[in-house]
Amino acid sequence: MKEFLRRLLYLRRGSRFHEELDQEIEFHIETRTDELEQSGVPRLEAIARARREFGHTPFVRESARAAWQIRWMEDLFADVQYAARALRRSPGFALTAIVSLALGIGVNTTIFSLTNEFLLNSPSCRNPETLAVVRLGGNSHLPMAEFRFVRNAGLFEGLAGLREPDEANWRSGEETHRLWASRVTTNFFEVTGVPVALGRPMQDSDQSATVISDHFWRNRLGADPNVLGRSLVLDGRPHTVIGVLPRTHRTFTGFGLAPDLYLPVEPDQTAVAVHLRLPQGMTRQEILDRLTSVGKELDRVFPQPDSSWTKDIRITPIEGFERLRSSSPAAIAAFFGLLMAVVALVLLIACANVASLLLARSSSRRQELALRLAIGASRSRIIRQLLTESLLLAMLGAIAGFVLNLGLTSLFNSVQLPLPLPVRLMIQPDTRLLLYSSILALLSALFAGLGPALKATRVELNSALKQSEHQVGQRRWNLRSTLVVGQLAVSILLLGVGFLFARNLLKSTTMGPGFDVDRTLWAYVRLVPAKYSTPKQIRAFIDREIEILRATPGVESAAINRIVPLNNSSATFEPFQIDNEPAKYRMRLQVNNVGPDYFRTMGIPILAGDEFKASDPDQVIIINESLARRAFGSRNPVGRTIRFGKRAPVVIGLAKNSKYFTLGEENAPAIYEPYAAQSLSEVNLNFMVRASRLSPADLVKPLTKALGALDPSAAIEVKPMRHAMGMALLPSQVGAALLGSIGLLALTLASIGLYGVLFYTVSRRIREIGLRVALGARPASILRMVFGESFLLVSLGFGIGLGIALLITRPLAMFLVPGLSPADPLSYLAVTAVLTIVAITATTAPALHALRVDPLTALRYE
Amino acid sequence: MLILRTLRQGPLHGYAIARRIKDSSAKGLEIEDGSLYPALNRMLVKGWLTAEWGISENNRKARFYRLTSDGRKQLEREAKEFDKLVRAIDLVMRTA
Repeated sequence: MKEFLRRLLYLRRGSRFHEELDQEIEFHIETRTDELEQSGVPRLEAIARARREFGHTPFVRESARAAWQIRWMEDLFADVQYAARALRRSPGFALTAIVSLALGIGVNTTIFSLTNEFLLNSPSCRNPETLAVVRLGGNSHLPMAEFRFVRNAGLFEGLAGLREPDEANWRSGEETHRLWASRVTTNFFEVTGVPVALGRPMQDSDQSATVISDHFWRNRLGADPNVLGRSLVLDGRPHTVIGVLPRTHRTFTGFGLAPDLYLPVEPDQTAVAVHLRLPQGMTRQEILDRLTSVGKELDRVFPQPDSSWTKDIRITPIEGFERLRSSSPAAIAAFFGLLMAVVALVLLIACANVASLLLARSSSRRQELALRLAIGASRSRIIRQLLTESLLLAMLGAIAGFVLNLGLTSLFNSVQLPLPLPVRLMIQPDTRLLLYSSILALLSALFAGLGPALKATRVELNSALKQSEHQVGQRRWNLRSTLVVGQLAVSILLLGVGFLFARNLLKSTTMGPGFDVDRTLWAYVRLVPAKYSTPKQIRAFIDREIEILRATPGVESAAINRIVPLNNSSATFEPFQIDNEPAKYRMRLQVNNVGPDYFRTMGIPILAGDEFKASDPDQVIIINESLARRAFGSRNPVGRTIRFGKRAPVVIGLAKNSKYFTLGEENAPAIYEPYAAQSLSEVNLNFMVRASRLSPADLVKPLTKALGALDPSAAIEVKPMRHAMGMALLPSQVGAALLGSIGLLALTLASIGLYGVLFYTVSRRIREIGLRVALGARPASILRMVFGESFLLVSLGFGIGLGIALLITRPLAMFLVPGLSPADPLSYLAVTAVLTIVAITATTAPALHALRVDPLTALRYE
Repeated sequence: MLILRTLRQGPLHGYAIARRIKDSSAKGLEIEDGSLYPALNRMLVKGWLTAEWGISENNRKARFYRLTSDGRKQLEREAKEFDKLVRAIDLVMRTA
């Protein structure tokens, strides 16, 4: 290491070193001469002898210098200088290459940033690596009583509870808004060390305090400088703001979830996820053992009927891949995987562009390279120099790509996704991104530069030195053709996918969900849990609200329901039997609990039987067509019973199929049960309202007012159902936006590449064409030849691209609406048309030019 | 090793080192004087020697080389190696 530093110092001393060495050698020889002279040798002979004894002076000088040099570094330095000069000489080439690479690297790093932010970021807290989530008995959340018991057992010091996301009602002026809250045990901040920007974190004594988010502070409280100590009425009680979180706060849930504030848990109503600060010096097994013993105690004090707290005890880290594995659904991972693959292909196209540009350049530099080889440069030395050139290009491309990344990510940060939960991204460049960009730059330099460099240095000296360029008789099928074909294949694939998603978006926006979205409104009411502790209170509230809704002018009907289709879902896998038949059915059933008038309100036709009435007994059920077909075949289901274990409700109605969770699902079997059949402790109420006219937006204000009159502490949110379809359309919207723009980018890059390569290939043959014309070839046959060759390349690329596209887009079906297959012919036809036009344009211009060349001029070169 | 040994007694300039080596080996080692300098530079890189300019006995500017502690350690190491080698050869010669 020290040795390296000394060498570096030498680099700085440079010329002084040479002087010193010369002086030293001179001193040596002179001293020897003096000595010899003193012993009687004549002056001249003494000098000669001294020199002879010393040896070959230049050689000594060189070897002394060589001891110091870091050869490769000096070479690299020279190469970089040379490359920079070469690039400055052909700015058009350099710019095209750098822009290609910048686009390729830019989108790659952007998707990387997105994935990184979305899936892999650590929550804001002290030492996230020693924090973990504990599950007991397979439960992700522990009721507060059980949590307190575990904490009081005293086996662990750092135990905190978190419920995220939860809601809170904020009374502001005359209105009550629903806020997103994270409920925490009061020791949460102390255990996790979540930092605050203003004020102080929550402490054990804070029972009615809140720590608010930066976003809430700025957007809802107008960045009030005196916010600390301000009182907010939350869930009907005043809470004091004691702190503001930093702007960059990241929640434990991750995925960009950004609640408005942190509140203390409701002592009796909240169940919390248990967060544990792992005790130092304890092995995982020891911790598990302790948890098991806690579980045993829990079984004694809080016995569960069919389960044990000691079953399925798990410790999951709160960051990194392990957390991801245990929490994120496969579709999300698949989506990001798909994006990564797609942008990698874009980079591949960009590299191919640069490679074909380099190839074109190196063939016009053949003479220069041949000359250098001829005067003794080794092939590896020249390859190294050419690679330095592509590395320099890649570095510049990466820098420009980095700027592109910053622009794109800040765009992502400002986009508000239409999700039912508040999600905000805070993408910032970090070291991981820097590392990733450098690796990409290095790889693209190698990928784009190695092939051309190898090819350029494989020259026959004689012919290369003699003549600048020889085309006739050159192999037709070369690296460049392969590149064109590959580029075309990849861009067909990308464009195909992009078009597919665009078509998907178009189709899904026009597709009916099976219920009326134009005349319905969704009114959400959240009650303060502490005020409604019994199901009776909640039931009374619902009945009163339904009455109020029905009495509001412009309302045709209203109903309560548990799940709002396309926004929420609830499903069961519980096996069932029909009447007393032995056959057991097991399938994924969509479940909803709905009140009277639900089907009329939603505009879902009842095909047989009747819908729920207030007078119905609890044990009734309505099923949809899909379930009827699968379980009853052609028999009439009305009047039969469906037996779920001990429960056996009677089918009283058959509803038409509709969409439940996604627009993409097809004929999902579903059941509806009366709203009253569930345990009525939910304080989150969803009312569906049917307007008597077609413009339900007018009803939002009067409905909000009418609903809020009953209980001012209840938060009300009313919106037309049409505006609540964001979640259902999101996958196709995001897919269309991202993949469409990436596909377009790929098309641009591929078009540039295709144009450049075809143009170059044809223009290199101008002389040959001139010769042919001179020898009597007719223009038509020449055009046929040139176009024939271009089309061979293009059609080969199409063939391969289409083949691959049909094969690998099959898994995409999970993102697409029914009726649109991944092999949608229209998408691929459109892509083919676009690329064909590019190919024709790229071939025509130089071909016509070639035809106009005077045969004599062409011949003179030969 | 020869160079390091020569410098053990104190700093010397290049010519003096060459003289010492020649004298001590009683002209037994015929090396070109020039080849001393690349060797000296290699040792400077390794950090076994330091060099500074001074005035020689004949009143000329000369570069004096001085052994560093690293150099001293290296000399010990090489001397040990050499002893081992000599002993091994000695043993072989005696048993043969």
